[in-house]
Amino acid sequence: MTDTRMLATAQQLGSRSLAWLHAGYRNGYGRLEDNTVIDLAEPNDVYKPLCEVALASSLVMRDGITGPRDTELARELLEAAWAQLRDGDLLYERQLRHVTVIDPLETYGHFARVGFRHAALEDLLDSLGRLRSVHAVEIPGNRRLALANARRIAGLEHRPDWNTLIGATWLGALPEPWTIAWLIAYHVTHTVFHVTDWGARPECLPEPMRDYLRDWLPVWLDIWLEIEQWDLAGELLIVDSCIGEPVTGRVGWEALAAVQQPDGLIPCEGSAPDYDDPEDAFRDHGHTAVVGVVAATVALSRALGGTPVSG
Amino acid sequence: MPFAETPLRDEYAAAVERVAGRTLDALRDGGGTAVLAEPHTAAPRPLLAAVRVLGADVFAPQLLSGAEPDAAAAALLTEARRTLPAPVPASEDAALVIGWQDWAADRLLARTSYGDGARAGSPPPLPPFDRERLGWRTWSARMAQLSVLALPGLDSPVHDAARAGTLDLARGTVRAMLRRDATTSVRLARWLAWAHADGRPLRLEIEPVLDRIGQVDDGTDRSGLELAIARALANGAPR
Repeated sequence: MTDTRMLATAQQLGSRSLAWLHAGYRNGYGRLEDNTVIDLAEPNDVYKPLCEVALASSLVMRDGITGPRDTELARELLEAAWAQLRDGDLLYERQLRHVTVIDPLETYGHFARVGFRHAALEDLLDSLGRLRSVHAVEIPGNRRLALANARRIAGLEHRPDWNTLIGATWLGALPEPWTIAWLIAYHVTHTVFHVTDWGARPECLPEPMRDYLRDWLPVWLDIWLEIEQWDLAGELLIVDSCIGEPVTGRVGWEALAAVQQPDGLIPCEGSAPDYDDPEDAFRDHGHTAVVGVVAATVALSRALGGTPVSG
Repeated sequence: MPFAETPLRDEYAAAVERVAGRTLDALRDGGGTAVLAEPHTAAPRPLLAAVRVLGADVFAPQLLSGAEPDAAAAALLTEARRTLPAPVPASEDAALVIGWQDWAADRLLARTSYGDGARAGSPPPLPPFDRERLGWRTWSARMAQLSVLALPGLDSPVHDAARAGTLDLARGTVRAMLRRDATTSVRLARWLAWAHADGRPLRLEIEPVLDRIGQVDDGTDRSGLELAIARALANGAPR
């Protein structure tokens, strides 16, 4: 049975997180330098957060379950991010120069999902996808799934063997659940995100893995809530929505809502310190805002009957 | 010269360790009798307190090897329950925990010359903890407090709840392991081992859990006894 109080909590949490992100970018935080070159000396500094905001915004638009104001905020964030990437040219040039880097494809999927396309990049990715090298680059299993999902979204010609990719992840081994650690938990969440395309395809995660997650998610959420790892707890809530009927109930939503500040900031862990420079707050807690938006979007979308899936 | 007196608390704790250690030795030796008291002398109060704390577990070596509860241990447990007042429960749940622990002791004493044989077959007068109402986290914590019931020869509504709640027992075990709570881990693993011995399918492999708990336990004989009982159950001790 749908828990309407829980969904109301989720909706408010996501809406506030989106507004906080939007306000940050409107204030000029987290912008790529105008002279950014394709080599990206510090890709995690601005580029990665920008792409994560694009992801969250693309899911808001894909799922279409928010009100007109939030839809507008999401569209503005996406357009601003796409403009920062020079309408995709930056991704194209980066991929052209560096055959084996994987982030242009990972990033492109978020935009292609909602119609921001770059034909030359797609041609290039199709061509590179025929190289053995590109598929042999040594990266974690969950990240290989991110690439497979991006190819699926963009409709690229390479068709990965999903079962092999899933089997190569930590989750794929159905490991002893008491061995999980903080970083491994993030690997698990990302495996689920990419295989299910952020909740659009719950059935793509093999049934034994969904059963396994339903068994242990309540425990993992409990222990990370106890030590106030809000960012990870939020990711576990996304997983809970991505695999079918959620099993963890209200507890996670209420905990995150209780720590969300009036301006929408959710501390990534513990309590947020007082910042002299609000841009520091934006940098430190931006990822958790993305998590808040995605968690609410996927939860509401699934509760309202699931994402319309194309293709 | 400074004069230090061992605080009573420490003396009783040491006695619990001593009795647990001797029971553990008997269990490892294949189920003989643990020599807990000097023969023909009055049992000292710390020993009686320790036997009262361990309760039905003083019979574990015999029960796990298919023998009848040991008469000497039964004499001590009877004496302990006669001379030491029952602990005062701080809550309704605590009263229920004590009630069930006493039920387990009564039920096993009834099989010896120290018990009321008539009570051996009587139904327990208490309700089990309500798993649905408490949720997996609280319910499993209560079950950990009742690990002494996870012995061959005992059956009750608490055991039925364990049979129906193996996933929640497993969740509680995993939670305790991740929180490095050695006491709760081993007690819940003992229930899992009991359920496994009872033929219930488990969602958590018991052997690696017991190995891990053995590697990181708190080093006390009391935890060692719980683990040894769990191992014996997992290895197919008589039911």
